[in-house]
Amino acid sequence: MLAYTVRRLFSSVVLLFIGTAVVFGLTSISSNPELLLATCPPTRCGAEFRSEMIQMYQLDKTIPERYVSWLGDAVQGDLGTAVRDGRRPVTEVLGERLPKTLLLAIPAFVLTALIAVALGVYSAVRQYSVGDNALTAFSFIGISMPTFFFGLLLQVFWGVWWQEWTGTRPFYVTGYHNADFMDLVSSLTLPVATLMLVSVAGESRFGRASMLEVINSEYIRTARAKGLPERKVIFHHALRNALIPLVTIWALDFALLLSGSVITETVFAWPGIGSYFLRSITNYDLDPVMAIMVFTAAITIMFNLIADVMYGVLDPRVRYD
Amino acid sequence: MTDLGSRQQLEMAIEAEAAALEAEGLDIEARSMRRQTWDRFRKHPVAVVSLFLLLALTTAFWVGPWLSPYTYDQVLAGLPNEGPSLSHPFGTDQIGRDLMVRVFTGGQISMTIAIVVALLTTFIGTVIGAVAGFFGGWVDNVLSALTNLFLIVPGLLVLLVVAIKWGGGVYSTAVILALLAWPVIARVVRGLFIQFKEQEFVQAAIAAGAKPGRIMFRHIIPNTFGPIIVNATLAVGAAIVIESTLSFLGLGVRPPTPSLGNIIQDYRGAIDSDPTKVLLPGLFVVLITLCANFLGDALRDALDPTSRRGH
Repeated sequence: MLAYTVRRLFSSVVLLFIGTAVVFGLTSISSNPELLLATCPPTRCGAEFRSEMIQMYQLDKTIPERYVSWLGDAVQGDLGTAVRDGRRPVTEVLGERLPKTLLLAIPAFVLTALIAVALGVYSAVRQYSVGDNALTAFSFIGISMPTFFFGLLLQVFWGVWWQEWTGTRPFYVTGYHNADFMDLVSSLTLPVATLMLVSVAGESRFGRASMLEVINSEYIRTARAKGLPERKVIFHHALRNALIPLVTIWALDFALLLSGSVITETVFAWPGIGSYFLRSITNYDLDPVMAIMVFTAAITIMFNLIADVMYGVLDPRVRYD
Repeated sequence: MTDLGSRQQLEMAIEAEAAALEAEGLDIEARSMRRQTWDRFRKHPVAVVSLFLLLALTTAFWVGPWLSPYTYDQVLAGLPNEGPSLSHPFGTDQIGRDLMVRVFTGGQISMTIAIVVALLTTFIGTVIGAVAGFFGGWVDNVLSALTNLFLIVPGLLVLLVVAIKWGGGVYSTAVILALLAWPVIARVVRGLFIQFKEQEFVQAAIAAGAKPGRIMFRHIIPNTFGPIIVNATLAVGAAIVIESTLSFLGLGVRPPTPSLGNIIQDYRGAIDSDPTKVLLPGLFVVLITLCANFLGDALRDALDPTSRRGH
């Protein structure tokens, strides 16, 4: 088990290096600050500014050279400079913005898992009932609805229609507000709901399939045959086993929530890393773009690793050697 | 059962299909198999409606703008922010363009992108998946390395980075989406090829001296049509969603060319005063994707001879 974990950790680090190299190459070509200099008139971007930019972005060096120097800084915790954000260190900007993204991602993650498991169990136990069919229809709609459109729909519903009907606005439709706790909850509600839509639809389907597989297995029949109450069969024997495959999905979904925050944060003008990513891309601000990509990739790798190790812990039939 | 996106179920369907093909032997007429599939498909009323709706929408997107007296970029003087009327069923936008023509032309462009993405991903994915599954070797190694890379590198973020430089046009957006999406189909096809190449009919063909090309194209590929068609259909839905998202974020199709995503972004400033018009193009996105997903799901069921649904 320990040997497996160490080996996986090692190969994950190798993967991360390859991943960052590819991403760095792509980002350097696509968000090339030279493009910005080319469109900037000499009156605004003088020779001094230009040479400063060339030095700052090391534009006189090749991309592999830049990658090595970026990597050298990155492993020492220096993720570069957010040139278009007051030339502050990227780590400082991310330190301000990351907690706000997690404020959306963590509640969304936990609520999704709880709701999806509940819906999955219900659908599996009442397979082909009216409720199950309704949930199937719901998950189809959830999967077919673009995240940004669901966000707009919520904004219109609560920000325009609800106000017309009742004269009140129970939730903030944009921005981050934290005057007091209720204020924070009110500004969190709609973006969290938006983030959750796709993952609830997907996870509940997966939970249903996993639960159905377990319910039809021999040991559940045995549990029923020895006269256990149905509640105990479902929640004690079936659910615990049905949750095991969900661990992998949870790990993948958390990483998806982080990258999905680009859309949700942009729709709701939320000051997290997602909206910052989009702004940095359109500003050709290379270092923050790289930092957010690498951070998301590292989180993905870490969660995959945790999921794989957890899988072995939860299911004794899985052996790593 | 309609578990969308459940990999397990797709695999089960594929296995069942393979087993059924094997059991039925080679003496079944292609036509009767096709008819069985059609009979099973007809029993999904939602999918039949979806197919009809998709065809109707596609026709409307191509014929509508052609019949309309306006063009998508024609500014009608003195008519900004008009409500729905007989001459402008969807009203006009903030600078006085007919919204119906814009939405339909946008639908045409989004649909074009989705179809190009589906065709390209299917083609690239099938070729690479087939070679990787059949020959193994370095193609297979590269494919699995890419798969691993795709698992860790956040796809949406890479898409945005790539789109800012190479996106912007209709076909460039389609190519970018296809280049990032093909590994999904490649993995499916690879799995099918690995499974089929061990089966008796392929072994028999090898023993009879058939060359690899003939085995791949004459013997194995026809057996993989089902899952490939299902994946291509689902790819249309996914492409519509991701294209509209990309265009909404300003990195997809650039105005003045309309797409369902950038019309929403264009008109978003009016969300407080005129919310229905902002939502309207999005409803088309949802409708197309929903139809494509229902269709793909029903096809998966219909192409699976052991399917128990459709009493």
